[in-house]
Order: sequence, then structure tokens, then C-alpha cells
Amino acid sequence: MYWLWTYISYYIRPLVKWFLRKTTGLCELQRICYGEVNGTPRIKGVESSLHLSRSPQIKLLIQHLNNISDNQRFLGSNEREILQGAVRTVLLVKQINPQIHTQFVKSFSKCIEQIWGYRQLVAEVESLRKINYDSDNLEHERKLYDLWENLMPFEPLESRVSRQWQDIGFQGDDPKTDFRGMGLLGLENLLYFATEFKGPASHVLSHSHHPDYGYAFAIVGINITSMAWQLLKDGDAKTYFYNMSKSLPSIRHFHQFYCYLFYEFDRFWIECKPENIMEFSNIRDRFEQNIRNSLLDAQNIFKINVSVDTV
Amino acid sequence: MGLLSILRKLRAAPEKDLRLLLLGLDNAGKTTILKILASEDITQITPTAGFNIKSVISDGFKLNVWDIGGQRKIRPYWKNYFENTDVLIYVVDSSDRKRLEETGLELYELLADDKLENVPLLVYANKQDLPEALTASDLAQALGLPTIKDRAWQIQACTASQGSGVREGMEWVCKSIKKK
Repeated sequence: MYWLWTYISYYIRPLVKWFLRKTTGLCELQRICYGEVNGTPRIKGVESSLHLSRSPQIKLLIQHLNNISDNQRFLGSNEREILQGAVRTVLLVKQINPQIHTQFVKSFSKCIEQIWGYRQLVAEVESLRKINYDSDNLEHERKLYDLWENLMPFEPLESRVSRQWQDIGFQGDDPKTDFRGMGLLGLENLLYFATEFKGPASHVLSHSHHPDYGYAFAIVGINITSMAWQLLKDGDAKTYFYNMSKSLPSIRHFHQFYCYLFYEFDRFWIECKPENIMEFSNIRDRFEQNIRNSLLDAQNIFKINVSVDTV
Repeated sequence: MGLLSILRKLRAAPEKDLRLLLLGLDNAGKTTILKILASEDITQITPTAGFNIKSVISDGFKLNVWDIGGQRKIRPYWKNYFENTDVLIYVVDSSDRKRLEETGLELYELLADDKLENVPLLVYANKQDLPEALTASDLAQALGLPTIKDRAWQIQACTASQGSGVREGMEWVCKSIKKK
């Protein structure tokens, strides 16, 4: 059934596009930029239009942009130049007059920034994940201490290897083996949550000490890192980033996405009234499905709603 | 209709369902072994909160492998998973000499449980690639495995992160079940 659809659309699409172009006087990219609302709907529209394009110049442009973002070179002064180049190519190929369509130039380059900024973010997050936690690295160790100090400001850590780590939900006396496949990304996610969202983080931490519904804060946090990374990688998180980031997506946006997920997971967990931690994988899967469903709605805005603690 | 019934028959192929239980301290490598058995990627593992389960077809058996978190706080729940276990697989980080005693104590508590009576035991001496790692035979001695008389047991050296040794252990598992 699917192949039949692709077959038809392969031949029908150019016809429809040609017809619309003749009647509206605008190319598809222009129609998207003028017609779709700002944010996810517009950016996703531009993205799929570009990827379906059969123009060799556009294909080349996409390859070029992929290459730059995969190598994380879509930054700083480079960024403006790359954006201008991309816009120029499209203006030329689609024969658009930039003097008349100033609004198009503006919103189209915004779309390019988000689409390839997202791709670059995937590469950046992945490289952070691949750095293993190293207890001989002073910078890594510093971050670990920072995490403790931010989560437990009134309780000094007695020694580097200590049973106290279990109070913030590490498995044993030394957290170094708990980051595993999430590497430094897991630690930086937790640290960002603890420093930038102090209130919500201590709210979540106190839930993790709940006598009936308690769980291991850090371990669950590292599992949430894995979820956030998975959502980013398979592209479902685009809705979130395209709606949230006003500038080039950066690691900070990813941390914020993580904080949102962790905070919401905690709420969901408590609502589920689990009998014990053994229900984690089940509840985790249900939570992930809920998130994926809400990411399907392009208009969705995700924000941490700090509620009064009632549990 | 014809195709459907063939498919049904294929599905109903007489595979015996077996229940394997993977236990051991945290950071021993249980989830990595589970993923190796299921031929999945092992570069993205996170600490197990709760448990993971996977079904693997091997040697005419359908192996349902239960991987339970090894953190101290989770260990009290281990016993909820003992019932109907066909083989107990105990994973040890051979390089973690500091916790050798702890892992031994946990193991003997398992062996003393009524619900695991006579259940064959496979011990994976994992992380053989690390310089401080004990060899399988040294680990067997240190854990006192040769004194076990009430069940079939085996120790298997492995480096789960490189996928080596895991299959050999599972071959023993399948053999010991056929004997039963």
C-alpha cells in the first residue's frame, strides 16, 4: 500500500506544485513560509519540502549543510555566512526577488538555522555522551562535587567515596561507574537541573525520598538522559526544539529539554502510585509513549509548570 | 487461509520456554550480558532501575532472561523473581576485589533459598579485560564454588563489553537444561 502511495506522489507532487506555482505565483517554500505559523509547523514544512526537492543545486546545498552541522562548524561568524549562502542558493534556484520578498528571506533563514542547528545539536550531544566519566579528570570530579553541593547545600560530603552518594540516588559509594553509556552527558544533565532549576530539582529530589514512592534520583536521572537523547536522535524531539529555541539550538536547550522530562517524569511516577521501584521500566515506557504522543502535536509548547507540592 | 495456517504452525513451533535469572551486584555487567544475548547495541546502557526482560531464541529454547538491578536497595526484591527459575546466572565483576566478599555473601544467600533449590548455577567472571581481574579459576576458589554439592554449577570467564565468553556460558546453560 505504501509503495503505491510513494509511486503516485512521486508523479503527482510536481504537477500539483506546478499548478500552485502558476496560480499563486509563489514557489512551495514561499507558500510554506507565508502560510504556516511560525515555529514547528513552518520549520517542518520547509524541512520536508527541501528534502523532497529534486533540484540538483538544492540537493547539493542540503549535503553541504549536513556536512557542516555534522562537524559542528555551524557556529559564530560562520553561521551568518552559511545562512546567507543557503538563502542565496534558494533565491537563485527558485527565481525569487529578495527585494520584494524580504519577509521570505527572513523566515526562510530562520528555518535553515533551526533545521541544521538541530542536526548539529545531535552531533554535539552525541560527542558529550561518548566521553566516559573519568575519575582522574579533575574537571569531571569538580562537576561531581558541584552536583552534590547544589543538591545537598546543607550537608557537606564527608569524603569522595562515601555512602552519602546514595542519598542523591547513586547506586553505591562511588558514582563514577553509574554514568555508563551516557557518559559526561548524564552528569551535565543532572548538574544543569540542580543549578538552573534549583526549586524543581529539590522538589523532585524530595519526592525521590518519599517513604512509599521513593526512587533513586541520580539513577533515574541517568535513565532520563537516555530517553532525552533517544528522542533527540530519532527526531521526535524536533517539535520541542523548533518551538522553543529562538536562536541556534545549543546544548543549553537540550539540558532544558532534559529538565522538563525529569520534572514531568517525577510527577507521572508519583501519580502512578507505584508499589516499588521494580515498576520503573513499565512506568518509564508509558511516560515515554505519552511524551511521544504530545510531541506529535506541532503546536505543543513544553514548559515546567512548578506546582505546589501536595504529596 | 493456507498461508495463515502455515504461519500459525511456524509460530507454534515447539520451543520450550525457559526462565533465566540474571543477578549480581551493581556494575557487574548484567544488562550488557542481556543485550549481548539479544544482539543489541551495548554502548548506551544505563544503570538498571527495576529490571529488564528479553526473550531470546537459542538452541530450540525460548529463553526469557530477567535482568534485575543489582543496587543494594533493589536486592530485597530479588526474591520476588525466584519462582520457576530454570537457571540462575550470577554475574561478578572480576576486577572489583573490594566487593568480592559482598558478592560472595549475596550469592550464598541466593543458594540457600528454598525457591532456588537444585537450580543450576552459571557464574560469569566478567571484565576479564581489566588488568586487576581475577581469573575464572581464582574467582571460583575465592567464592568457594567447589564446595557446592547440591546443584550443577559452572564458571565462565567473559568480557561482555567485547562480547567474548557470553555464548560459551549459554551453551552450558542449554546443555544443563537438556540433562535435567
